[in-house]
Amino acid sequence: MSTAAAKSPAFDQQGTQSDAQRVDAAMRSFVREFGVTAALHMESCVRCGMCAEACHFHVATGEAKYTPVYKLELFRRAYFREASPFAPLVRLLGLVKPPSIGELQQWQELIYGSCTVCGRCTMICPMGIDIAELVKEARHGMFKAGLIPERLALMDRAAQQWGSTATPGEDLPDILREVSEEHGVEIPCDLDSAEMLVTAAPAELGDHTKALAAAAKVLNRAGIRWTMHQGGFDAANIGFNNGDLELQERLTRSIIDTAIKIGANTVLLPECGHAYGAARWEAAKWYGQALPVRIIHMTEFLDEMLAAGRIKVKPIGQSATFHDPCQIVRRGGLEAAARRVVAALGFELIELKDHGIAGYCCGGGGGVVSNVRATPLRHKVFEIKRAQIDATGAERFVTSCGQCRITLEQGAKQARWTKPVESLLELVADNLAD
Amino acid sequence: MSQARLLGEVLRERGVSRRAFLKYAGYMASLMALPPSAAGAMAEGLAKARRQAVIWLSFQECTGCIESLTRSFSPSLEDLIFDFISLDYQHALQAASGEAAEEARRQSMRENKGKYIVIVDGSVPMGDGGVYSTVAGHTNQAILAETIADAAAVVAVGTCAAFGGLPEADPNPTGAVPISQLVGDKPLINIPGCPPMPQAMAGTLLHILSFGKLPELDHLHRPRAFFGENIHDRCYRRPFYERGLFAKAFDDEGAREGWCLYELGCKGPVTYNACASLKWNGGVSFPIQSGHGCIGCSEPRFWDRGGLYRALPTGTSDVRKVIGIAAVAGVALGAGAAALARRRSAATRDAAAAPPAKTPSPQE
Amino acid sequence: MDLLDFARGPALTFAGAVFVLGTLWRLSGVLLLPRLRDLSPPREGAPAPWRGALGTVLRRMWPRREFLDRTMFSTVNSYVFHIGLAVTVFGLAPHILFIRNFSGLSWPALPSNVVFAVGVITLVSLFAALARRLTHPVLKLLSHTGDYLSWALTTLPVLTGLLATAHLGARYETLLALHILSIAAFLIWFPFGKLMHAFLFVFSRGATGVRFSHRGVKA
Repeated sequence: MSTAAAKSPAFDQQGTQSDAQRVDAAMRSFVREFGVTAALHMESCVRCGMCAEACHFHVATGEAKYTPVYKLELFRRAYFREASPFAPLVRLLGLVKPPSIGELQQWQELIYGSCTVCGRCTMICPMGIDIAELVKEARHGMFKAGLIPERLALMDRAAQQWGSTATPGEDLPDILREVSEEHGVEIPCDLDSAEMLVTAAPAELGDHTKALAAAAKVLNRAGIRWTMHQGGFDAANIGFNNGDLELQERLTRSIIDTAIKIGANTVLLPECGHAYGAARWEAAKWYGQALPVRIIHMTEFLDEMLAAGRIKVKPIGQSATFHDPCQIVRRGGLEAAARRVVAALGFELIELKDHGIAGYCCGGGGGVVSNVRATPLRHKVFEIKRAQIDATGAERFVTSCGQCRITLEQGAKQARWTKPVESLLELVADNLAD
Repeated sequence: MSQARLLGEVLRERGVSRRAFLKYAGYMASLMALPPSAAGAMAEGLAKARRQAVIWLSFQECTGCIESLTRSFSPSLEDLIFDFISLDYQHALQAASGEAAEEARRQSMRENKGKYIVIVDGSVPMGDGGVYSTVAGHTNQAILAETIADAAAVVAVGTCAAFGGLPEADPNPTGAVPISQLVGDKPLINIPGCPPMPQAMAGTLLHILSFGKLPELDHLHRPRAFFGENIHDRCYRRPFYERGLFAKAFDDEGAREGWCLYELGCKGPVTYNACASLKWNGGVSFPIQSGHGCIGCSEPRFWDRGGLYRALPTGTSDVRKVIGIAAVAGVALGAGAAALARRRSAATRDAAAAPPAKTPSPQE
Repeated sequence: MDLLDFARGPALTFAGAVFVLGTLWRLSGVLLLPRLRDLSPPREGAPAPWRGALGTVLRRMWPRREFLDRTMFSTVNSYVFHIGLAVTVFGLAPHILFIRNFSGLSWPALPSNVVFAVGVITLVSLFAALARRLTHPVLKLLSHTGDYLSWALTTLPVLTGLLATAHLGARYETLLALHILSIAAFLIWFPFGKLMHAFLFVFSRGATGVRFSHRGVKA
């Protein structure tokens, strides 16, 4: 490592708050998280250490600091000082110290650089602690303190301005026209009325436009009355990832409000994991009531269209293995749906050793793939996936999340691994039968 | 009451053969777990002893201790005891009464100054100036102090004298205290039991007589020979304890099978006495053998251990009321804590309403 | 009042009161915190929340197949001492007597020798757990004073119980008093450390069960 790298701190800071203000902001945000579920989980850890055995970062490196519940250490201290049943005594007797600015700064690496919020730790914990969810909650405080990785802060600022990390809304019609022309597929944009509002992931508006075209192809074949709309088009909610609650709310509302405006009954999310988390499970909380629109993920949509016979696919007939995106399967409930689509494609599915709800994370979720500091660690984690994929001996390798694809492709490049990572949606679109 | 003749002479005169005498000495020695050689020494010592002057004071007692002693079973033990010692004062057995009896006591004290043994049964009441037990207008405390002043040793027999016993049990209305609190630095032996075993009383006296000194005592001044082991370790029902076979109620199937009485409150494991090995009434039986758990009568405060039938591994207080109050208090404190946490959370929300430092524009 | 009388009397009463007060304080202090209602529609066919909760409470009794070989020691050793503690506490006649005394409930006891053997196994298992906690990098990092105290106050009753049963080390009444006092210490500490997991596990697992069953995942 160069001396320049050794001198630079292992964390980024945003804003002009003083250290004391940052700590205060973090603590205030932490305190707001402690409802009954978070409190139960904070109280329940028995320090058994099993969560470490589920976490790909710990498994790949053997380093104790990547133990999932350890990532919650400062959050835990805030809880016991501020919201726990014995908090007044804890404060009075000084039994737990409040986090210091130095600790919060060092903590950025654990919260953003070595956690993909994949929730595998949640699955192993004998006390049922949803560690991943708590890490996500802790990010709210880190954001308020201006202590998130700079690349993520950059994306956050872009989305604040543009409503998307990919492009300003006003550029959307042009982009869609280009995609439409390049791939020979019709993509409605900014219609005043439609059944379904379709959204995209940022990569689909940039490098992976083929995915967008594939979605259009399927939608058109199924005869859906759909549109994309510059009022709300980027489903990969960067606010959700970063812990920026205000941005999360804004981005969610832009999609839901647009859907309502155009009279849509359904919002279709792209092949993206965190989009599902933000829209399917958390969107309603901003409205304080059940949403008037249905939120559906691309994988669910393909499953429903195939089951209803509205689209048909030609069987491919090769062996394939499937990477389960964490937010869609483990934390989303679409394990069976994804496999039905794989089966419809005529693949002989050879499962990864760890698949389904217990599958290993690609290593890039939760903003980790965008976090430059985390790159070396991510490549170590990739080895776990690569070994498992190779061990299946499957001919094709498929997944249903764009970020997973990017992460795995980057890992493949670095490791000189030549197996292509394919999208379930694109496979369906490429193999539509009449 | 002459001290001139040796005991050996006296006994020979009475027709107690040397053989019978040796046999008795051997019996007493083995009773006290002394080595075989001690029997001879004991016999020698006894033969050369003079009749020991003994003054027996009785205070807040039930007369059970002297009753027990008179049930001692060895052939001619009674005779031997009353030949070996000169019992100069004892309420139950003396012929005299009133002033004549008191004068006999004082005369013994004068004539045997520094050499007499004082046996005490019953506790001494100290409450309200000691009025709760007096003899001829003199408090027990005063009589005790007067009598032990020139005594060679004090032997407190019975749990009342040794540890306070029944009078001292809650609420102790008379302010009863054990003798040990009133003897200063006089040599003291406690022979507890309610009543004490006759062998314990007799054997201890004979030890003093034979060897001219006190037997080995434990931390409660009890002779180790009789109080060195607990009932549990010598109880014939111990195998049932080990196997977990317990009588659950009196006269139930387990009780009739002779199973362990632990669940019926037996205090054997924490009671030090010789009942299980020497047994009572001529070695016939003891409470456990008769189907009743040991009540721990030779231990201090055995009346206040939560009840004779309260098994050892149970608490002695009625916790239900305390638990009830604790439960209500716990929920109240918890609710208060939750309310406090909600308030702190709400306060941060109000503070957050004021705009925080904005993240700067992309030009940064 | 001697040590045994103190242990059986004021000590147990105080400990019982602190245990009840502290446990209810901690439980109600947590359960009365604000509840966020999940307004998103459940996965089609999702079970009722209570069933989802119960499912997770039961499923977490054993690790998933994928996690088993990496957690074998923790899982097996923990069950050994948990079951050992249960057998010892609820199977030994004097303990059943103790429970019957304040609750009225009782049940047949196991042979005392069997319980003694289980007690020895439990003690060994507890020491194995401590050894692991002191040497494993993850556990060393996570553990704090409270954890070691919880270990000590769980082990002491087992140790003093075995010594008392074997009449080893002191007079029986002293050993019994120490055993009862160690239980009192355990009860007093219980609400304040990780021992509370005995009550919390149902709620903690249950909460995750509710969240995940809502999403159509058998967590």
